[in-house]
Amino acid sequence: MRVSLYVPADTWLHRLDPMTKLLMAAAGVALTFVLARLESGAVLLAIFLTALGTGRVLRQAGSVFAGVGIIAATFLIVQGLVHPTNATPLIIFGPVVFYKEGLLIGLRLALRLYNILSATLILVLATNPADLTEALVRRGAPARLGYVIMSVLQIIPTMVAQSAAITDAQRSRGMETEGSLWVRMKAFLPLMGPLVTSSLIATEERALALEVRGFGSSARPTFLKPEVRPPHAGLVRFLCVLTLAAGVAGRLLFGW
Amino acid sequence: MAVVEVDNLRYRYPRQTTLALDGISFTAEAGEFVGIVGPNLSGKSTLCHALIGLVPHFYKGAIGGRVVVAGLDVHATPVAEMSRRVGLVFQNPFTQITGAKLTVYEEVAFGLEYTGVPREEMVPRIEEALRLLGLWELRDRSPFALSGGQMQRLAIASVLAMKPRVLVLDEPTSQLDPAGTREVFDAVAALCRQGITVIMAEHKIELLAEHANRLLVLHQGRLVADGTPRDVLTRAVRGELENEPAPAPPVTEAAAALGWTMPEGGFPVTLAEAVAVGRAVMAGDSEAKSR
Repeated sequence: MRVSLYVPADTWLHRLDPMTKLLMAAAGVALTFVLARLESGAVLLAIFLTALGTGRVLRQAGSVFAGVGIIAATFLIVQGLVHPTNATPLIIFGPVVFYKEGLLIGLRLALRLYNILSATLILVLATNPADLTEALVRRGAPARLGYVIMSVLQIIPTMVAQSAAITDAQRSRGMETEGSLWVRMKAFLPLMGPLVTSSLIATEERALALEVRGFGSSARPTFLKPEVRPPHAGLVRFLCVLTLAAGVAGRLLFGW
Repeated sequence: MAVVEVDNLRYRYPRQTTLALDGISFTAEAGEFVGIVGPNLSGKSTLCHALIGLVPHFYKGAIGGRVVVAGLDVHATPVAEMSRRVGLVFQNPFTQITGAKLTVYEEVAFGLEYTGVPREEMVPRIEEALRLLGLWELRDRSPFALSGGQMQRLAIASVLAMKPRVLVLDEPTSQLDPAGTREVFDAVAALCRQGITVIMAEHKIELLAEHANRLLVLHQGRLVADGTPRDVLTRAVRGELENEPAPAPPVTEAAAALGWTMPEGGFPVTLAEAVAVGRAVMAGDSEAKSR
């Protein structure tokens, strides 16, 4: 079971260092709010989809897009029906009228949603969480915070397996765990009790093990893996900054 | 000079009225393998934790006496600093996996990274520890994909990479099958031969008898016996230890029941010794019988 969304691959996007991809995501999210026009948002989305496609993570991104599709649809429906500036009927289903002004606003909101998502997915789908955490710790993020982030990603799957074992143990004692909602609700406490207790015990044991491995040391941490920045990272960073600057200028001068 | 010096150690956990450790005193030399035995709640784990400073720094409570390990006063030294001289391995191999690293190789590096060991020094230490514990071929595997015995060896390797002078193990084989148990004991014995002082609390007395140079017997927080395995276990089967705190290996009890003794005195404590004595008896060597 994988908890993170990271998709291992070997593409130009994956080979970028985590901080460059963080910059790409930040620039992308910033541009989403800087650019006001629908056409600008569409161009931005096309750029993101190109990056995701050439990074060979577009299929995984599509699954995420489909998951928030209902939110996007809600924007269109609600704005199309009831936005205060609605004046021009566009789609009529009997008594239900969708207005052009509201639909365009809904479309802009949906586009903004997908742009933010795409910018974030460039980072999330193509970056190993361990590498991102280490990059942040190298730049001064607390080492303990880095450990918390990484251990959650690894330990959650093992806790899921542990809860399955507890479920089996309780079933062997005659407890019903499947059936109606009431049956499953009754089974909740006998499952949660042992899971929480065993997790707390395991947490204390792991805390002790970390202590004796020097986790509480005040020394500045070092890193096993050297930090590697590929040759094209510089160009990507330059393009990010340039695109952001162009977006701001375009908004101020041309109303993009 | 002894690597471990414990002098009149007394300790009481917070909100408890009885002492968990009551006047423990012993020393250990470099390369010595000291086994700690005793019934549950005799203070074995507490003593192990006291050797690295978890007692009292982590558990708090009231402490008295003196513990000096590898030249450091444990009561005055933070656990992170002690971890550079003393390693501690716990019972549960699973909870010793940090969960922050994706491979066995990186897992061993964890402690070295947090204690600021330079990268050039890290790499040879990691390789040495993995090879010594027979884990080099598994270095790219996820720590969670290892067997129990392999995980426990990984825990030992992770501690060993910190270059401790003393390795303390608190019932490291309690959750392992016989094969995993053998792996751990063989690995620990190899470390002893390299000059590392090993202190191991265990219930598997027959394996301790085979590998340890000395046995400490604890009972209700007190040290009731300190000597070679043969000396301590012979006294145990003769009922000379207070309240019979620790059973002897079956071979020792059988030898005692049959009246078979070693030429130098005392009962055999390993199967090999018992077989040798038994053969001597069957060959008509009257000295092998009880004196």
